[in-house]
Amino acid sequence: MIAGNIYGVVLNDRPQLAQMAGDFAMPPYKKPPEAPVLYIKTRNCLASGGGDIALDTGLVQVEVAATLGLLFGRAATQISRENALDCVSGICLALDISEPEASYYRPAVRQRCRDGFLPLGDFSAFDPKRLGASIGTSVNGAAVHAWSPERLARDAATLIADISSFMTLAAGDLLLIGLPHDAPRADPGDRVDVTCDGLSPLAIRFKSGRAA
Amino acid sequence: MKRARIAHHGSAVWAELVDQDNTLRLGNGETIPAADAHWLAPVTPGASIFALGLNYADHVKELGFKTKEPPLIFLKGMNTLAGHRGTTVRPDDANQMHPECELVAIIGKPARHVTADQALDLVGGYTIACDYAIREYLENYYRPNLRVKNRDGTTPLGPWIVDAADISDPQALRLRTLVNGNTVQEGTTQDMVLDVAGLIAYLSQTMTLLPGDMILTGTPQGVHFCAAGDEVICEIEGIGRLSNRLIAEPKP
Repeated sequence: MIAGNIYGVVLNDRPQLAQMAGDFAMPPYKKPPEAPVLYIKTRNCLASGGGDIALDTGLVQVEVAATLGLLFGRAATQISRENALDCVSGICLALDISEPEASYYRPAVRQRCRDGFLPLGDFSAFDPKRLGASIGTSVNGAAVHAWSPERLARDAATLIADISSFMTLAAGDLLLIGLPHDAPRADPGDRVDVTCDGLSPLAIRFKSGRAA
Repeated sequence: MKRARIAHHGSAVWAELVDQDNTLRLGNGETIPAADAHWLAPVTPGASIFALGLNYADHVKELGFKTKEPPLIFLKGMNTLAGHRGTTVRPDDANQMHPECELVAIIGKPARHVTADQALDLVGGYTIACDYAIREYLENYYRPNLRVKNRDGTTPLGPWIVDAADISDPQALRLRTLVNGNTVQEGTTQDMVLDVAGLIAYLSQTMTLLPGDMILTGTPQGVHFCAAGDEVICEIEGIGRLSNRLIAEPKP
């Protein structure tokens, strides 16, 4: 379904940036980030087990960060903020799953790219109105988290413009527009539901995998 | 066997090298001179591209780091690749842009929870990457960050894939980089901190590696800053020579 690269961005949540302002001046960071802090999700993250995601034994808990995925219909290279959203053709809910990790110093490949760690909802045609809606997460039927992309330090258009200043977001690429720093956690056996008005909902269940 | 991916009659096709690498033979039997080929990076679209930082003992020392544990792994997008005899843009302000010659292992069969002993059986082949770095753009967030390592066309890869069966020991290959004919980087895959088998075992502990996935295994010592116009060749014993030219930023 995704033909291209899958990119995500961390440290794009205003409350988190405020909270970490002191840390940014200290080693290993030394100064605040300038360019968007991006990561890549590999194709095995999309591996589907019919809504079941196996967690290796030894992974006690995972972070479940609900966000929006923007699917590119045409390439964005050195695009302006004004024209950035014209390159987006589709939108979906995404649950970016990761092993909790406090440090942002080294790429978190092992933490973020386990099999099944990026379930996606069905795609809809892109409508910029969706960028202001609240994204809710429930664990085992109980609402545990809600946030809105209005919290983003770089909104979707600014993010695309800033990324495209140094690399191409190609047709077929997916961009996850940011993660809430206060995302909830889940355990094997938990069911997680993500909803957002106007978008197809997303439901997964964690099960125990094999020992590593 | 060596397999290349080329643009031919408007399509991307795979071709086999014959006649001492002077000729490319397509699946339909058609042959074309290698000298006339339009080379593409020999990659399976959609493949994951893993890359290693600080994976040669000598380069780690050169950069002033202590050997890292666990391995420093980062990822690259398809937009970064360029074929043999391609060009790479050197931004005007990139005074610290340097080539990094790397052995690339290409996964041949799905790998999950494999041991280092089994790992090499799952390798399909090997190729060469020139993974340019631009030190000015380094930031201490998910370092090496994508502004350094994920720029369009900054990872020439090729010229072709050599079957794993034709490489008896991937940890006994000499590699070097030449800029305008001068050797600027030299080493041997013997000096890898975590070898190809170890890298596959490590990655497969937490994720399924799929056919076509690539692992750029890191680079030995030799940091040489390049200028626009430089001809950069990365060569690895038993695989070939990957050629690339740096060009200045195009002006609108």
